[in-house]
Amino acid sequence: MRTKLCTAAAGLAGALLFTAGCSGASTGTGGATADAAELKLTNTTAKASGEAASVNWLVEQEPGSLDLDRQGTTSGRTVLANVCERLFQLQPDLTTQPQLASKAEYTDDRTLVLTLRDGVTFHDGSPMTADDVVWSLQRHAQPEMSESDEYEDVDEITKTGASEVTVTFKEPSALFMKALAGDAGIIMDRETVEKQGDDYGTPGQPDACTGPYRLKSWDSGSSIAIERYEDYWDDSSPALTKNVLFRWATGSALVNAVSTGAADGSYLTATGPAAVLAEKKGVRAYYGQSTTAWSLSPTDSGALKDTRLRKALSLALDREGIAKSGFSGLAQPWATPVGPGAWGYEKAAFQKAQTDLEKSTAYAASPSSDDIDEAKRLVEEAGAPAQPIVVASDGGESQTVITNAVRGAAQKIGLEVTVKTVPPSQYDEFFADPKAREGFDLIAVDWYISKADPVGFYDNGMSGSANNWLGYADSGYDALVKKAQQTIDDKERAKLVIEAQSKFADAAVWIPLVQVPSVLVLGEKYTGPPASMVSLYYPWAADLGTKG
Amino acid sequence: MLRGLPRRIAGLLATLLAASFVIFSAVYAAPGDPAVLLAGSRQELTPEKLAAVRAEYHLDEPLVVQYGRWLWESAQGDLGRSFQYRDQVADLIGARLPTTLELVAYATVFFVVLGVGSGVLAALRRGWVDSAVVGGTTLAASIPSFVAAIALVSLFGVQLGWFPVTGQGEGFAGRLHHLTLPAFALALGALAVISRVTRQAMAEAYASDHVEAARAAGLTEREIVLRHVLRNALGPIVTMCGLVMAGMLAGTVVVETAFGLSGVGSLLVSAITTHDFPVTQAVLLLMVIGYVVVTTLVDLVHPLIDPRVSLGGKAA
Repeated sequence: MRTKLCTAAAGLAGALLFTAGCSGASTGTGGATADAAELKLTNTTAKASGEAASVNWLVEQEPGSLDLDRQGTTSGRTVLANVCERLFQLQPDLTTQPQLASKAEYTDDRTLVLTLRDGVTFHDGSPMTADDVVWSLQRHAQPEMSESDEYEDVDEITKTGASEVTVTFKEPSALFMKALAGDAGIIMDRETVEKQGDDYGTPGQPDACTGPYRLKSWDSGSSIAIERYEDYWDDSSPALTKNVLFRWATGSALVNAVSTGAADGSYLTATGPAAVLAEKKGVRAYYGQSTTAWSLSPTDSGALKDTRLRKALSLALDREGIAKSGFSGLAQPWATPVGPGAWGYEKAAFQKAQTDLEKSTAYAASPSSDDIDEAKRLVEEAGAPAQPIVVASDGGESQTVITNAVRGAAQKIGLEVTVKTVPPSQYDEFFADPKAREGFDLIAVDWYISKADPVGFYDNGMSGSANNWLGYADSGYDALVKKAQQTIDDKERAKLVIEAQSKFADAAVWIPLVQVPSVLVLGEKYTGPPASMVSLYYPWAADLGTKG
Repeated sequence: MLRGLPRRIAGLLATLLAASFVIFSAVYAAPGDPAVLLAGSRQELTPEKLAAVRAEYHLDEPLVVQYGRWLWESAQGDLGRSFQYRDQVADLIGARLPTTLELVAYATVFFVVLGVGSGVLAALRRGWVDSAVVGGTTLAASIPSFVAAIALVSLFGVQLGWFPVTGQGEGFAGRLHHLTLPAFALALGALAVISRVTRQAMAEAYASDHVEAARAAGLTEREIVLRHVLRNALGPIVTMCGLVMAGMLAGTVVVETAFGLSGVGSLLVSAITTHDFPVTQAVLLLMVIGYVVVTTLVDLVHPLIDPRVSLGGKAA
C-alpha cells in the first residue's frame, strides 16, 4: 500500500514556518542541510532505560480499518505492528527471526513444516492453536484480501499436529517465509474475528491478536489508544511504555504538533516535514533504511523502445540535484529501483553490486561532461523520436522536481520532453490500467516492497508482469528471476538476484533515481524504537522509553 | 404559523432527492477509479483482484442501478458502509458531527458578538469609528480562511504557545481551548457582512417616523436605541445571522483541515478524494438538510420578531 505524499503542502507550510516560527539554535540532526550523499542511516536508536506512562504518536491519516486483510495502510500497520504478531518477525536490522512459529523446516522444496510456539495466548486469554494458524493463513489467501498475492504458489495449508502446520506449494517459493514476517503471517483468534463478522477492525471492537500491546480504544475521527498487555506471553523483556495514543496529521499540522511537544514522535514518509523538524529545537530526527526508491518507468508507447535512448537519458540525469531539491537532501542518489531496506540477507554482496552499478556511468550520481557526450552520441546513433517524450507528473513537489530534471537532462542531449500533469486519482490508475498510460512515455514512480528481499521487486521485470509497462521480455532474465524465487538458500539466491539486477540495469528497464530513507522524529527525552521501515511490522513501541 | 409546514417538508424532500442524484452522478463522473483505491497496494493491482473488488462494492453496475440501490437502502435508514473506513456511515458521521456543530456554534457566538457589536458601534458613532469598522471588517472578510488559519496557528499556537495546534481536546474546557482559533478563523469571513447589515438596518430604523415621534415625546437616546431602533432592526440582523450560520455548516471544510479537526468537513474531503460514495452522499445531504432547516427556522422566527412580516412574506 502506498501512502499519498503531500509534500507540496508540507513544503509550503515548512517555508511559512521557517519564516514564522524558527527560534533558537538547531539541535536537530541537521538532515535538512546535509549533503545527500552523506546522509547517515541508522536502523536503531539508543536503548531506552526509563518507563513512560503515556506517549503521543502521530500517523499520517486515520486508518480506514484495523483489519489489515481488508485494508493495509501505512498508518494501520504502524499501529498494529505493536498489537499483532506474525509467525516470523522482521528485526530492526532487517533480518528475519522466528516469532509465533518456533521452527520452520523445508522437508522438501515444496513442503514447509511450521512448528508453533507453545504458551502463546491471544488478548482474551485464549491459547493460540494450530487451527487458528491454519484459519488465519487461509483468510490471508482469499483472493479479495490484500495479501492474497503472497499465496499464489501455495497449494494447501493443513494442520498436521497439535502444534504443527504444514504448507505445501505448487512450486518452490523462497519468498513465502519472508512474507510470513509481514501482514501475510499475522495470526488472529478465529473465534473473535468470526464473532465480530463485518465489524472486525472497525471502531469499538477488540483486536484478535497476540502482541505486547492490546487495542484499548478507537475513538472514530480522533484517536486510537493501545496499552501494554500485562499478560503478554513473552515476559522476557516487558515494554517500557504503558500507553500509546495515536492521532493523525500531515504537513504543517504535523510539524506544529511535533515541534510544540503536542506529539512525542512520528514515522514520516514525506521528506518536507522531516527536513523542517530535523532543524527544530527539542526534536531529533533519525534516518533508517527503507525499500522505497524513486525511478522512471518507461511505457510501451514506442518513444523509448530503443535501449540506447533510455541509457542516454539515465546518463544525463542529475540524481544529486534531484535528491537536494526534490527531497530537501533527505534522499540518496541510487542505482537500483529498491532501497537498501530490501537487503535482508547477504548485505555485503548487495552493497557491492550497488556500488558497481553507481560506478558504471549510466547510473552515476551526477553526470560528468564525458557522460553527456556519450549520451549525445547514443541519441544520435539511435535517432531521437519524432514526437516530444511525454513525462507524467502528479503535481507533487518531488514529482515536479523529477520531471523538470528529466526535461533538463533531455535538453542537454538533444531530446525533447514535455511534462503533462495529471490529478493524483488519475495517476493512481496508471498502476491498474494500461489504457490509462496511453499518451505517456515515461512515468515517475515511488516504489517500495514489503519484504526484505530484492526478488520481491525484480519479478516486475518479467515478461507479462502487470508492472512491466515497457513490455521488456528477456527469457534469460525471466529464468533467472524464476530460479531466484525458487532458491531457498540465501547465498545462492543473492547471486541470482544480483545477476538479474545487472541484466535489468543493462537494459535500463527502469531508470532508478534516488532512494528515500524512512524518517523517525522523536521528542528529545525519548529513545529506543527502530528507525528503519520495520516500524510497519515490528513492535517498535515496546522498545520506546525515556533516556532515563 | 405552521400552515406552510407540509409544503416545506415536501419541498425539502424534493430538494434532497434532486441533490442526492446530482451528487451521486458527480462523484461517479469524477476522474479516478474507486476500485483502484479500494484494491490496496500497487503490487497487487491484478485485473482479477480489481474485478473482485468491483463486484464486492457493486462498482460494475450502471450508475442508475447503483443509485437505485443506495436510494432504496437509505430510505430504509441504512446508509451503508463507508468504502474507505469499513465502518457504518451513520457511526462515522455520529462520531464527527459534534465537533463540527460545536465549531459552528462557537463561530456563531464570535460573529454575532463581534459583528453585531461593531455594526451597532458604526451606526451610533458616525465618522472615523464608522470608517474604521467598515474598513476593518472588509479587510478581515477578504482574508481566505486557510491563510487566516495558518497565520493564527503560527502566531498563537507555535510562537506564543497559548493555544493547541491540532486536535479537538477533551472535556468542555479542553474543547473550548482547542476550538477557539478555528472558530475565530471561521467567523472572520462573516464579520463584514453581519456588521454591514446591522449598520444598515440600524440606520434605516433611525430614519423612521416613530423614532422622530419618540424623540419628540422626550425619550432619552438610550431608550430610543434599545426600544425602537434595535428592535426594528432585529429582523434583518437575525435573518442574516441565520443565513450565515447555515452557510457555515457546509463551510467548515477548510478550517477543519487546517487545524487537524476531525469533523464532517474533513470527512467529506477524504471521502471525495477516495470516491467514497456512501459517505459523500450522506455528508452532503446532511449539509443540505442543515441549511434548509436553519433557513426555515429563520423564516418561522422572523414574524415573531417583526410583526410587519407574515409567513406568506406579504407586508401586513
